[in-house]
Amino acid sequence: MPERRPGISGRSEVARRSVLKGGLAAFALAPLLQACGGNGTSSAGGGGTEKIPAPDNPITWDLSKKNPAIESGLRPERGSTLRIYNYADYLSPRMIKDFEKQYGVDIRLSTFNDADEALTKIAAGNLDFDLYFPSYDSLGRLVQADLLRPLNHDYLTNAGNLWPGFRDPWYDRGSRYTVPYTIYSTGIGWRTDKISDDIAALDNPYDCFWDTQYAGNLAILDDWHTAMAMVLLRNGQTNINSTDPDDIAMVRKQMLELQDTMNPKVTISMYTELPAGQYGLCQMWSGDAINTQYYLPKSKSIDIMRYWFPEDGVGEVDNDLVVCLAQGKNPVAAHFFINDLLDEKIAETNFGFTGYQPPLTAFTPETLVSKGYVPENLASAVVTEKAFDVGVPLLQLPAAADAAYHQIWQEFKAGG
Amino acid sequence: MAERGARGGTRLLWPALAIPGIVWLGLLLVAPFYVVLAILFGGVDPILRQPVPVWNPVYWDFTQFEYVWQHIVGQDAFFRPALLRTVVYVGVASLLCLVIAYPVAYYTARFAGRWKGALLAALIAPFWISYMMRMLAWVNLLQTDGLFNKALSLGGLLDVHVNWLGGQPETVVMGLVYGYVPYMILPLFAGLDRMPAATLEAARDLGASRWETFRRVTWPLSRQAVVASVLVTSVPMLGDYFTTDLLSGSPETSMIGNLINNSVLTPGQTGQAGAFVLLILLVSILPMVLYVRYTRTAEDTAS
Repeated sequence: MPERRPGISGRSEVARRSVLKGGLAAFALAPLLQACGGNGTSSAGGGGTEKIPAPDNPITWDLSKKNPAIESGLRPERGSTLRIYNYADYLSPRMIKDFEKQYGVDIRLSTFNDADEALTKIAAGNLDFDLYFPSYDSLGRLVQADLLRPLNHDYLTNAGNLWPGFRDPWYDRGSRYTVPYTIYSTGIGWRTDKISDDIAALDNPYDCFWDTQYAGNLAILDDWHTAMAMVLLRNGQTNINSTDPDDIAMVRKQMLELQDTMNPKVTISMYTELPAGQYGLCQMWSGDAINTQYYLPKSKSIDIMRYWFPEDGVGEVDNDLVVCLAQGKNPVAAHFFINDLLDEKIAETNFGFTGYQPPLTAFTPETLVSKGYVPENLASAVVTEKAFDVGVPLLQLPAAADAAYHQIWQEFKAGG
Repeated sequence: MAERGARGGTRLLWPALAIPGIVWLGLLLVAPFYVVLAILFGGVDPILRQPVPVWNPVYWDFTQFEYVWQHIVGQDAFFRPALLRTVVYVGVASLLCLVIAYPVAYYTARFAGRWKGALLAALIAPFWISYMMRMLAWVNLLQTDGLFNKALSLGGLLDVHVNWLGGQPETVVMGLVYGYVPYMILPLFAGLDRMPAATLEAARDLGASRWETFRRVTWPLSRQAVVASVLVTSVPMLGDYFTTDLLSGSPETSMIGNLINNSVLTPGQTGQAGAFVLLILLVSILPMVLYVRYTRTAEDTAS
């Protein structure tokens, strides 16, 4: 196991603080632009100063000095407003209503399209969001920028419902800042009435995104890292967080080919647009695949929906988290809300709306199918605990590689 | 004494009337634009990659602007297609708007009679529904099994499966025309309505045909309104991004507004959005100056 580089992270704290205080930060541009020059993996500058958790490099984050955990035994203040920042349709309105009623708290939900956008607005600091739902690839930045409030586990009485593997996760040893929210895989969704081939039976199913017979009939996830991880997986590179310049060059070439020949829609609304028939084939999150059943026109049967994830399990699996933001004004209500997310009954209500599974022991593929939450033809979209043994997660990238990938994404989205 | 006081009052009154406008310009145009510049020529926070504005021009760093500029004019000009596309889309859409709006405005101003008020209200009616809703309605209509394809198939007679939402430039231009045509009609109507009827009657009395009256009197007199209405519609179109986002979503129809939107929302690239804003501003100032000069000469000749 690689060591945790304590000296380096200490240095980054100083650098960050001086910059966040509003000093001149032009120097910070140097590594970024260096990376933009195409030499994507030079580890100079910001790259070496970041703590990046990975399954083989678990991290225990330092407790924030500026933002102490709340005291035990408090109750949410009645009449206050809990501000939640999340993806759209990623939280059950019924669950929200129930919580408001039970605790006499108003909930205000704001939504974002992708993590980049969310981070930009959270960093602005004045929106007072209490709860945020990040993926772990942005966790390091959130902690190191001191934007989070450590959790007080006295409030999280339902934590025992979690899968054992998620009680002390590699990205946050001791669950100091996070509780897992949902788990999902990233695969391919398609409609049998619009796509004649059986995508799952192809030699390399990922090839369908470069198959011109589907041009103009497909969509790619509007998430730079997820989209480009797919290119790596297509080419047999299972390290989807590769910083190798050759890999990055290959990703660029194939992304531009995709843009040039396939005219893909770039969106995260697959769960409504695939059922609506805007296209027949798309890169898809498993939860969205399950969710399609609620958005299908009445004239169509759910039987036409398919979801593929590599049978050997070597594909992208991730989990989203819920964190308590330091800028929030209602940390106590936030803790109660987090604890509710881990309650089996409430989690079931929530799952019934979002289609995204919580990593709770009560939820297995069998129970989900038998309870009617997941149609049998989409059982491949249910994620098992075992999937996390072989599946590959998206990780935060070192600054230089991150900038190199971002530039490819920029070029891809600018259109040729 | 009293007289002098009154004269002094009016001397101060006229400039005083300009104060609200100047404050408005300063607060809502000049100051925000300076913020854009401070971010464009500023730095980036190393952890969250958020822009760090630099207020003092002495410390301005031009690398972000150069980066954008290089990718517009340099060898690896991946921004250029989107810029050209924007010019083409906005040009075609403005032209189509004019072709649609001119007859409508002309009819409303000259022939609507007592229906003028009602017709005008009907023309403004689209503003009562949000732009977003109107675009979302098109998304529904244009789906492959949507109403538009059904209408084209003449009730199932033909087999029509056009994928209008699959990144078609035509759909985006149509969306722009649909969205902005009311903005075109109003200034055109205002211009045509003001036209002295006596001039037109004189032309007819002196033997000009209807067509000649239009060509030699109405059109030249309305040219100023045409230029104004084209400006009023094309400038906001230049910054539009949600029309293509909603009706296409494909990078192949990205416009400059999308480049701005994407870079604003991407950590580390926010400053680049400022470069695009600067470019749009420079590009749209040029026709504005031309317009001002044009109206001035028009006024001179009129008087």
